[in-house]
Amino acid sequence: MTASRLRPFVLPVTAIALLALPWLLGGANVVFSACVIIAIFAVMSYGLDVIVSDLGEVSLAHPVFFASGAYTTSIASSRYGLDPASTLVLTVVVVLALAAAIAFVTLKLREFVFSLVTYAVSVVAMTVAANWAFLGGSDGVTGIPAFEFAGFRALTDRQLWPLAWGLLVVVLYLVSAFRKSRLGHAAMTVHLNPALARMSGISPEIVRMKVFLVSAPITASAGWLYAYQRAYISADVLTPYFLILMLTAVVLVGRRILLAPLIGVAIVVTQERFLSYGAYVDRIILGTLLILALSFLPRGLYGLVVDALSMLRRKKSRPLDERQEV
Amino acid sequence: MTGAQSPVLEVRNLTADYNGNRALTIDHLALHEQELLGVVGANGAGKSTLVGAILNWSRGAPRVSGEVILDGEDLSRMDTPSRVKKGLLLIPESQLIFHSMSVAENLAHHASAADAAGRHVYSLDDIYDLFPNLANRRGHLGGQLSGGERQMLGIARALRLAPRVLLLDEPSIGLAPKLVLTVLRTIRQLADNGLTVLLIEQNVKAAVEVVDRMALLERGRVLAEGAAAEMRDDPRIAEAYLGGHAT
Amino acid sequence: MNLAQQIINGIVLGHAFALIAIGWTVLLGVARLVNFGHGQMYMLGAFITWFAMSAWGLPYLVAIPLAMSVGVGVGYLMQRTMLNLTIRQDLVSVMIVTLGFGYVIEGAAALTFGSTGQILDTPLSLMDIYIGDIWFTWQDIAIVVVTILVFIALKYVIENSPVGRRVRMVAEDPKLAQLAGINIKRVYLGVFAFEGATVALAAAMVAPRTPILTSMGFEEVIITFVVVVLGGIGSVTGSYLAGLGLGLFTAFFGAYVSSAYATAAMFVVLIAVLVLRPGGMTQKMGGH
Ligand SMILES: Nc1ncnc2c1ncn2[C@@H]1O[C@H](COP(=O)(O)OP(=O)(O)O)[C@@H](O)[C@H]1O
Ligand SMILES: [Mg+2]
Repeated sequence: MTASRLRPFVLPVTAIALLALPWLLGGANVVFSACVIIAIFAVMSYGLDVIVSDLGEVSLAHPVFFASGAYTTSIASSRYGLDPASTLVLTVVVVLALAAAIAFVTLKLREFVFSLVTYAVSVVAMTVAANWAFLGGSDGVTGIPAFEFAGFRALTDRQLWPLAWGLLVVVLYLVSAFRKSRLGHAAMTVHLNPALARMSGISPEIVRMKVFLVSAPITASAGWLYAYQRAYISADVLTPYFLILMLTAVVLVGRRILLAPLIGVAIVVTQERFLSYGAYVDRIILGTLLILALSFLPRGLYGLVVDALSMLRRKKSRPLDERQEV
Repeated sequence: MTGAQSPVLEVRNLTADYNGNRALTIDHLALHEQELLGVVGANGAGKSTLVGAILNWSRGAPRVSGEVILDGEDLSRMDTPSRVKKGLLLIPESQLIFHSMSVAENLAHHASAADAAGRHVYSLDDIYDLFPNLANRRGHLGGQLSGGERQMLGIARALRLAPRVLLLDEPSIGLAPKLVLTVLRTIRQLADNGLTVLLIEQNVKAAVEVVDRMALLERGRVLAEGAAAEMRDDPRIAEAYLGGHAT
Repeated sequence: MNLAQQIINGIVLGHAFALIAIGWTVLLGVARLVNFGHGQMYMLGAFITWFAMSAWGLPYLVAIPLAMSVGVGVGYLMQRTMLNLTIRQDLVSVMIVTLGFGYVIEGAAALTFGSTGQILDTPLSLMDIYIGDIWFTWQDIAIVVVTILVFIALKYVIENSPVGRRVRMVAEDPKLAQLAGINIKRVYLGVFAFEGATVALAAAMVAPRTPILTSMGFEEVIITFVVVVLGGIGSVTGSYLAGLGLGLFTAFFGAYVSSAYATAAMFVVLIAVLVLRPGGMTQKMGGH
């Protein structure tokens, strides 16, 4: 009962604690850099989380949304001198058009056919990015200026951190608001009981389209900040790494738990930054995590922890707290 | 016929749960050599769950525990295909044949001599003698058959797999009254030819004419069990047969 | 670039596509399974063949079965890991797990073979044939012949053999197949092992045509998607024809429009097929 009364404070307190985290961890540059990357990749993953956990489909086109944010920002800022606010607006506009097109084409496709086509979108996007001169071709886009807006200038990861944190907090708020919204409920209904959805006058196609349009800008906004952080964008943003990372982040910890993708990304990036065994072995580790999570932990690490805890205190044989679907 | 010899199939303490809800509690049930046992009960009584549990099989996913003993051998730890190879052949309630395959192909799959372990494998000639209709339609796809033909094909498929015990889940459901009689007579004939049969039947009136013994199932429990002649006069059977809801 | 040359290129390429896709045809159409690690398994087959020949000096005809054995092992291991997901027919999870496997295979291959491009030369690929101004190699002829043989054998096995019948029974109704005494786990493992073997064979045959890279799997699998979808999911003959058609399309598109965008063009074909007959894919699957 106290838990439910404390609930409104969980998010603000967590948010403040997160902001202070890099300083609490010693404040070294590598720590800031890791934190910025974790925040950006977590934001990227939240876009996919909404599709996978709420809508129940697996979009493999989300790297394209991330890349379109990164490319839009890098081209608009380096070639046309737009400021960060304008590039963000432009990113959202571009990605909405792209998402609408992809959602429209795949509207009737289900399950793995949907995934298959969205995967193909990613592959094609990569070949286009690597070959189209407008996108810099294989050279990519260079000369992205530092993030500078209304007197605030961020060049290093230390300076970028409050920005990355702010973006993350906004996205966390958006995702939790989405889950409480009518659209969020409709998405769950479509996911769990399509027949009931139709009977209650919810059109699965329209819900899907809308959720896509909510989800894509979230992932794209990560690409927006990533462009400023990297100062260089190439077709590398479309390599399978981002796709595998997103999927792992979404399934590793547990579905429909607000902080799960953030924790998932944090686990992966921490391993890569601080416990790396070289790029190739890291890839094997990441892929293995994804395989194991899905094959053996249907409820993710969270489920594992819950089960372990309930095993430990089996004194009263209370029924398990089944807050999430299996 | 049942005598004192040990039963062919014996079930002890068999339970099944769907998401923690108990759907089946069978303390003891036995089938004897060449016996045709009818299992009756209202919709949802647990009849399908019972035969599924005997094979550790279901289209849902119940949790099953208990002992299943065939000819003195405990099968409880075996998976479904192994139990089938021992001679437990279930013809399920619906989707009982392969629709995308022809009748001949449905019948082509048969037990190897090793798996049959001496039990009779019905030859294609046996099958077509028993079910002349199937012979005429051997080139048709399973999905093109009528309800009655599907039941025949379902039974025929099982006969190709060297059954020791045949378990039939409502073979007469949805069939025209005349066909019901044909199907039940065929089953009676199989029992007379030496098979041990468990027949689930909603049509108690028709069933009681062909079975040797009958068990009444209600809420997953055996409420009454006895020779067909006794059970015919049992008031509880009359109630079930009338379709009334016992409370 | 004359027309006859493009037709020859298209025919060879088409047989190559069909051969690459054969494992998926069986997986998806016959057993209702998917494998997004297919492209990386292709890459692995190519590198094993290359490594066996260049590092160990094994003859081509020994390197092929070696690559196929590794393919069988990888396919088996994949399916063993996700057997429960397969039995629950949780295709979405199966799909993500196979993506994960593809990623692991790519990392492992880069670790073992390095990330630089290699050329897989075989005795056949070095033997040219000129007819007028048309050019091809004995490798190209071998691709066409092997593909035709594999397709004929596969069609025969699926339609007429007890093994093929078992696989079709499991595909249509795994639950009913269990009641027919079929060990469905073994069938699923077998189908994945077959997928591993055929994609390795395809790699050993086809990869000599282009430089090989450990990162090539990501894109390679698209060809397979398109062939399987275009061929009408699981139809063996359909896949063969679709492969051939797509090969000709790619050859002409590459020669007269742009070779860099050949994959993108294939994707447009895929989308067109899916949008023109949206129910087509799911309707044909299984026999329910
Ligand atoms: N897949 C399932 N999930 C949950 N409950 C089920 C499932 N299948 C059957 N039940 C329940 O188990 C009980 C017995 O069902 P069943 O064996 O099918 O009865 P019968 O065959 O006698 O009509 C019923 O109460 C039914 O609701
Ligand atoms: Mg029933």
